[in-house]
Amino acid sequence: MQNIIIGQYVPGQSFIHKLDPRAKLLTAFLFVIIVFLANNWLTYALLGAFTLIAVFVSRLPLRYIYNGLKPILLVIILTFLLHVFLTKEGPLLFNLGFLEVYEGGVKQGVFISLRLLFLIMITSLLTLTTTPIDITVGIETLLGPMKKIGLPVHEFALMMSIALRFIPTLLEETEKIMKAQSARGAQFSTGPIKERLKSIVPLLVPLFVSAFKRAEDLAMAMEARGYRGGEGRTSIRLLKWSGKDTTLFIILLILSIGLLLLRS
Amino acid sequence: MDISVKELEHSYNRGTPFERNALKDINLSIPSGTFQSIIGHTGSGKSTLIQHLNGLLKPTAGSIQIGDFLIRAGEKEKRLKALRKHVGIVFQYPEHQLFEETIEKDIIFGPLNFGVPIDEAKQRAAKLIKQVGLDESYLERSPFDLSGGQMRRVAIAGVLAMKPSILILDEPTAGLDPRGRREIMGLFHRLHQEEGLTTILVTHSMEDAARYSDNIVIMEKGGIALQGNAEHIFADSDALKALSLDVPETVQFIHRLEERFNRTLPQSVFTLDAAVDAALTILQKEERS
Ligand SMILES: Nc1ncnc2c1ncn2[C@@H]1O[C@H](COP(=O)(O)OP(=O)(O)O)[C@@H](O)[C@H]1O
Ligand SMILES: [Mg+2]
Repeated sequence: MQNIIIGQYVPGQSFIHKLDPRAKLLTAFLFVIIVFLANNWLTYALLGAFTLIAVFVSRLPLRYIYNGLKPILLVIILTFLLHVFLTKEGPLLFNLGFLEVYEGGVKQGVFISLRLLFLIMITSLLTLTTTPIDITVGIETLLGPMKKIGLPVHEFALMMSIALRFIPTLLEETEKIMKAQSARGAQFSTGPIKERLKSIVPLLVPLFVSAFKRAEDLAMAMEARGYRGGEGRTSIRLLKWSGKDTTLFIILLILSIGLLLLRS
Repeated sequence: MDISVKELEHSYNRGTPFERNALKDINLSIPSGTFQSIIGHTGSGKSTLIQHLNGLLKPTAGSIQIGDFLIRAGEKEKRLKALRKHVGIVFQYPEHQLFEETIEKDIIFGPLNFGVPIDEAKQRAAKLIKQVGLDESYLERSPFDLSGGQMRRVAIAGVLAMKPSILILDEPTAGLDPRGRREIMGLFHRLHQEEGLTTILVTHSMEDAARYSDNIVIMEKGGIALQGNAEHIFADSDALKALSLDVPETVQFIHRLEERFNRTLPQSVFTLDAAVDAALTILQKEERS
């Protein structure tokens, strides 16, 4: 429970922390696209280098990131195995009787797993180095033009910031209730599957009750303070695009060109 | 079951940027059948400490001995469930743990988990609902239709239904009105005496601590600042002030009276009744002389 890093913000003073949230959001978005340009060892190495350098520059503790990625690692390994066993391309590498492993399968497996890993690392870096408020303001500004065609951008951004804001609270609450029920003899982590599913009820019901209560309280407090949507509302945070942000884009441009040139 | 805590240390979120040392060098021994209070400001580590007493938290260093259960840093105690049967915890705001459709079902959740037959569990529920001050007809109602104070009582009944021999109370009366507070504390005191429980009370109320405890521990920034029986703790009001804590009002009053008339009373005074008696004694003596 303590290892979950989604929605966590780790305060810091690194180059990445200081970037404009819009720059980081756009980078993450573009990265998701250019990841798909890679299709051979060289291009994957290039993406890997970019990701590693980004992690290194953020000065986040490596052990912390590793621990946070552990739960996702399982998904990645599973993806890898599926590709290895199901793709039948290229020369046969070895045969385990019922399983045949082809070179193409191994290659596919490695590539897809790396792709997943890079995507998760880069998006995690975004949330780990940017406060939820900054992310929201960033999204709201970036999507601002969409307001003209009637999209509820402000409401969307608000919903997102509230969700992000309450992830840690919910986790905390989950931990508290788990403890309270464990003290009454409930078991969450051991026993057969059927028992485990049943044991979730004493956890979920109080969680939902308190989440609804929180939502109601929040709505009431917002109304009491005169909140009525985004019309005419200005933000106290002014975003400033600086040389750092432009540098990031130049790096990203070079990376994209590199990928285009080196891909086969 | 005697409790003995040795050199206990606990840090939350070990190995992350959020690491936080919440307890350090805690040594504490609570003999079976005694009433122990734990006092301290918010964030001083009281809740962290008590969660070690039934293995909800694992020590970062040090050990906890409860009866013949031993919890040590880096080791797994396999009989956690057996331990938890003996150690009941009423958490802060226990009403948040209610989840069943009916109050009866919620109260018997604990006992059933520990293998109590359903008939006996129901008998316990019927008895306890009255003890916590609600009518038996409540058993069939939903816990979510109750007021906050009533929910608190139901949740407390749910812990008592496990018949623990060690009862831990984490600020059990926080947010209750004065009458509810008195009733609930009265219930805990009665149970402590009648059932011979070991009771550990985390509280902000100096009055409650003074009135009920055999021993008091005062925590400060994750460590133990003062420790001893009530007389010993409240005799030293300067030490308490240094920790920005108050002496109970009755004690303050008697201290002032003693100073004013330059007399000392043979024993400490904690309850209101005793304070009235003591004041009378002093005033009568004063009149005579
Ligand atoms: N689940 C947790 N994760 C991280 N830190 C915590 C957690 N619970 C408590 N703490 C920290 O440990 C310290 C002691 O907290 P706690 O034991 O709850 O104090 P108290 O009960 O005396 O108010 C506080 O600084 C608090 O912020
Ligand atoms: Mg507490």
